[in-house]
Amino acid sequence: MHKLNLAYAAASIGAAYAGLLILQLAAGAPPWAVFLCAFLGGGIIGWLVYVTCFHFIPLSNPLAPLMSTVGMLLLIDEIIVHVTAGMPQNYPAMFDDVMLRVGEFTLRGDLLLVAGVSVVCMIALLALLYRTRLGLATRAVSQQAVAAQLCGIRVAQVNAMTFVITGVVGGIAGALIGASVGALSPLLTTPLTVKGLIVTVIGGLGSIPGAIIAGLLVGAFENVFQQFRGVTERDLYVMLLLFAFLIFRPSGLFKP
Amino acid sequence: MDFYYGLAQTVGIHTLIGLSAYVVLLTGQVTMAQAAFFAIGAYAAGMLTVLAGWPIVPALGAGAVCGAATACAVGFPALRVKGLMLVVATLAFGEGVRLFFFNFDYQVAKGEIKMGPLGGEGFRQIRYFQEHGWSTGEVMLFIWVFVGLAMAVLWWFDRSRYGAVLRAVGEDELAAQSVGVNLTAVKVSAMTVGGAVAGIGGGLYAHYTTHIEHANFNIMLATFAIAYPIVGGLKNVFGTLAAVIFVQAFLIEGLRFLGDWRNLLFGALIVAAMNLRPQGFLGGRRA
Amino acid sequence: MLELRALSRHFGGVKAVDGLDLTVRKGEIVGLIGPNGSGKSTTVNVIAGLFPATSGEIRFEGESLAELPTHKRLQRGIARTFQNIRLFGQLSVWQNLWVAQNAPDDHARRGFFSRWLGGQAGVRGEIAQLLEFSGLAHKQDELAANLAFGEQRRLELARALAAKPRLLLLDEPAAGMNSEEIGQLRSRILKLRDQGITILLIEHVMELVMGVTDRIAVLNFGQKIAEGTPAEIQADPLVRKAYLGGV
Repeated sequence: MHKLNLAYAAASIGAAYAGLLILQLAAGAPPWAVFLCAFLGGGIIGWLVYVTCFHFIPLSNPLAPLMSTVGMLLLIDEIIVHVTAGMPQNYPAMFDDVMLRVGEFTLRGDLLLVAGVSVVCMIALLALLYRTRLGLATRAVSQQAVAAQLCGIRVAQVNAMTFVITGVVGGIAGALIGASVGALSPLLTTPLTVKGLIVTVIGGLGSIPGAIIAGLLVGAFENVFQQFRGVTERDLYVMLLLFAFLIFRPSGLFKP
Repeated sequence: MDFYYGLAQTVGIHTLIGLSAYVVLLTGQVTMAQAAFFAIGAYAAGMLTVLAGWPIVPALGAGAVCGAATACAVGFPALRVKGLMLVVATLAFGEGVRLFFFNFDYQVAKGEIKMGPLGGEGFRQIRYFQEHGWSTGEVMLFIWVFVGLAMAVLWWFDRSRYGAVLRAVGEDELAAQSVGVNLTAVKVSAMTVGGAVAGIGGGLYAHYTTHIEHANFNIMLATFAIAYPIVGGLKNVFGTLAAVIFVQAFLIEGLRFLGDWRNLLFGALIVAAMNLRPQGFLGGRRA
Repeated sequence: MLELRALSRHFGGVKAVDGLDLTVRKGEIVGLIGPNGSGKSTTVNVIAGLFPATSGEIRFEGESLAELPTHKRLQRGIARTFQNIRLFGQLSVWQNLWVAQNAPDDHARRGFFSRWLGGQAGVRGEIAQLLEFSGLAHKQDELAANLAFGEQRRLELARALAAKPRLLLLDEPAAGMNSEEIGQLRSRILKLRDQGITILLIEHVMELVMGVTDRIAVLNFGQKIAEGTPAEIQADPLVRKAYLGGV
């Protein structure tokens, strides 16, 4: 749709929190149930963001949807703060007691799961976009919405589905973050928003393979910087990486 | 009465940062850097009155110049990116400036105590108004003199050819180029004007709160800066003023009746405003 | 006045313009016609500076235009209209013309201050003339987006004239017009020639081209296949073949 949605990180974290709801209903529920709930929550929140920010506002007005997503970002954050009284919540992890030894390195089982799920997710998303009719319709709508409509594609439905699917992906991300860190807090939203934007720009706007590779790149760089220069300077170096890209390769790694 | 003076002061300062974004938004550039120029103006003006003993007005002027100069420097690379990329670039710049002030130490001994910015602790004791015996009402009026000045200047720009050219660039860069408009000059100049206004706002902010630190100039402030002109509408400067009053009054009034829920209301309010009136309170871009 | 020498513009493998030689003399009205995709609009875009030429030269009044950005070409005296109208929709008719007043002698005559920060009073006269010429005086405060299609076309032309160009590139100005409107356009173009403006007219609508041009060049697949007076072109078998794909 060529519009910017700034609420994705909040939606992602919100979905992760939604996952925790199931613990309210059935204390002692297994972790995978929490994750499942997070995915579903993500889809629902994604749909809500679509309806409140992109469905009714005429798309010819570029700034209004953007502002609306900012409003949603604030709203979701505040709902989280209200419901949890601002206290960080523990997040279940799977396989956290499993440790694999590879040579000199110890790999934590739960982090491996995080990596594994991420990979599966990215493959699934690519498959969806490039191998299914829905993916084809999404790409068509993004290139020529009016023509797509004339071909019988229900534009509103396709756009809504896009948000639901990305919402689910966001929910997976949120759940994975919760699982790898062990706790959730609303303070995660802002840094995640910034990082997401940086990854999008480095990867190239509108390119999913780009976002995937850039995500891996930025994640790797973050850890390298943190290893060598400590946590406080880490963000500064990620910024510098972004600036380098903006100066030397503003279109990002891949064209859409 | 002091409460209303305080509210008026806040509205004034926020109007200035909103206006700094207004002029840049007219050219179609969505900027998340206004909080950074605001911060630079704040630290510069604060340091000049506290450490160098300057009177307030020249210090504010210097803050404006620093803001403008930085904005001009940012304006040129900003030309190379558009849309989302510009948002990210300016956001990254803003965060960079904030991180800079997080690490910025410059202390000078004044008598027995050391004064000046101290990294994460911020810059305390910016007490120009207190030392010169200004009342809250006088500070408020002083702030509003600058707000009035900024609004008058921008109103004048809006009615002049410059304003029409700014809006033309915002609408269709290709057409503007083809009728002879120098896009670089126009976009960078708009950024510079915005930087100057933000610099003054920052300088006033530093003196009215007496203590500034890096966390004051975060992404939230940058978001507020563009929210005001968008919610108020880009038709003229009064839209921005209306949005500031609307937001601040709701936040403050919400404080009375809804207690904790006012923050919840804020996000919902913005979503509602954008759905009900996407072109902003006062409407679209026509001057 | 305008000389294109072996001008080429390639987009990847597609040769949109291929070795075009064209001369437009001062005071002429030259037409550029050809089937769709023959490179007419690309030629205009390259002359106007939107794309750099892949090879070849463009000389205007003896000087090369290479590397000159679009807004500077306007200041040298070349203005253009757009095939799909690109007005500033949210600005009024008056403001559209005001924004376009970028002629260099204007810049010299009026100081920086009055040119940029002055109000509307100083330029009322000149803009009134433009409005008169295009018959839009009664709509001067109307938003450009609200004008009727024909009025928008007239505004597009008036805006191109606001910078006092010496060469005017008209990109399919008659598209979508009826006979009466074409007649009015024709007389306006002739009036412009009388005022000393040289015109390069890209057009499909033969009624206009044949009736107003001194010379016509015909493009096909980016190359010039014929050049001559309207009568000569109408009789040319190559031209017929290009348009109709065989007589």
